[in-house]
Amino acid sequence: MSENHESASLVKTLRPFHVWALGVGIVLVGEYMGWNFTVAKGGVLGSLLAMLVAGTMYVIISLCASELGSSTKLAGGPYDWARLFIGPGAAASVGLAVYMEYIALEAADAIVVAFIAQSIFPELQVFPITLLVIALLTFINYRGVVAALTLNFVLTMIAFIAIVVFFFATAFGTVDIHPEYLFQGALPNGMIGLFAALQFGPWFYLGIEGAAMCAEECKHPSRAVPLGQQAGMITLLIGAAMTLYLCAVLIPADMLGVSVYPLFEAAQNSGVFIFIAALGLGTFLTCVASANGCVCDSSRSWFALSRDHYVSSWFSAVHPRYNTPYRAVIFTMPVAIGFAFSGFLDQVITFSIVSGLLCYVLIPFALIRFRNLFPETTSKVRPFAGPLQPFIAYFAIAIAITILSTLFWGYKYNLIFGFVFYGIAYFYFSHKHKTSKAENNWAEMGWPEPKGSENARIGKEVMGVEFSDD
Amino acid sequence: MLSSVTINPEMEKKYHSKLNGDSVLVVGMLALLIGVELFVIGKIVGATWEIASNFYYLYVIFFGLIVVVETIGCLRVRDSIKKHMFEFTYYD
Repeated sequence: MSENHESASLVKTLRPFHVWALGVGIVLVGEYMGWNFTVAKGGVLGSLLAMLVAGTMYVIISLCASELGSSTKLAGGPYDWARLFIGPGAAASVGLAVYMEYIALEAADAIVVAFIAQSIFPELQVFPITLLVIALLTFINYRGVVAALTLNFVLTMIAFIAIVVFFFATAFGTVDIHPEYLFQGALPNGMIGLFAALQFGPWFYLGIEGAAMCAEECKHPSRAVPLGQQAGMITLLIGAAMTLYLCAVLIPADMLGVSVYPLFEAAQNSGVFIFIAALGLGTFLTCVASANGCVCDSSRSWFALSRDHYVSSWFSAVHPRYNTPYRAVIFTMPVAIGFAFSGFLDQVITFSIVSGLLCYVLIPFALIRFRNLFPETTSKVRPFAGPLQPFIAYFAIAIAITILSTLFWGYKYNLIFGFVFYGIAYFYFSHKHKTSKAENNWAEMGWPEPKGSENARIGKEVMGVEFSDD
Repeated sequence: MLSSVTINPEMEKKYHSKLNGDSVLVVGMLALLIGVELFVIGKIVGATWEIASNFYYLYVIFFGLIVVVETIGCLRVRDSIKKHMFEFTYYD
């Protein structure tokens, strides 16, 4: 732990619905768009399998995040878990991966908001609207986390209710559907398509682990994080199943695979004005909510990296009035703008997925290490203990590696670039922190010394005696 | 921070009522999840049975994993809240 603890100044007022709003707000956009590339690869059956396999992985990841977040209660989320339980190299890699994952997503969301605004008002230009959206959301997050996440709750709830109402109206026969589309687009690329579709499965849930990143700002993190995170995960599972069904019975599979706004298109095909309006509004709101949540999470990751001197400690300042990590929040703006106008947005989004998958390997691994180092369950160390651990953590790692391997179909160079980037970060920060000799101060967290630390200490002392004897 | 609170009957009643609220929310969402997933998997696999019959067990396995792990996870969340609600004064 660092000695520089401005974190004490972060406001602690968030409740479970804020945690839900942060997690679902970031992710729901993936159900409004993006997930449908699973259909292009593996048809309706491939998409259904990708939804279930990715869903299983994310249920486990969210349980790991609930346990780790409610235990550590730190703003860095996956970065802090890796720092405490794995090591500085992995911590830096995960911290940067989380930052890149969310900031790339924010850039993509802001551009989509600008395109939607332009489609409604053709006289508007995409560039200034994108800038305006990024600047406005940065300002909201600068002013306070409660306002930012309350806004997210309202936006996300409207977008989710739109899906639910559309689904039940369709399921109860209010809308004319085409069940023949299910068979026609079942498995266009054969069995290999089932496997290839997995690479886009994470779109249904990408980023839900970020809900735990507001743990340090929760009033009662040991209740808010597990409850908000699990409620969020169930919401996304429900939304994913509804979305897949609606789109699969209203849009032919060949068109669904390449659709930009599949849920909105499904509503258009229903021909019912109220659903067209609701899903159009939902598409817009969910992009704003996602970008808003991404500003919150990416700034917390940067703030945590800065607090421990992985990057300049200048960013770890907390605003004296608004209690936000305001420099880290403001710094998201130029980076997001840079991503947005790089001209390689599809590559940026793929890099975001690679970064996310790296986290999905290291989060369960951090939990396994946490269970090994601190096996006892006490109110202080582990107020919430997830079920079936560490067995399901190993299973999540296996699924994440399997999905990563499927990225070789079409995204080989993104994958190699990701590995090289995070590999360099790993070795650079491992070396840097080996020389700084920074160690975790468990007593500062009110925790006991980890299992095995006494043996290690005695070993060091013995070595010291032997060397001094020489 | 461990708090040393005095638990009076009024507080106990309020806390159990709030805990029931949390429980009802989660149980309701779990019921909706199981209903919706069964409906969607049933519709899609049913309509494509000629193809899906070769590997339908994959859907059964992963649907089962999601429901079982999430249900046990939610029960653990409830147990955790019940265990610590007075200690950490969750509902004040």
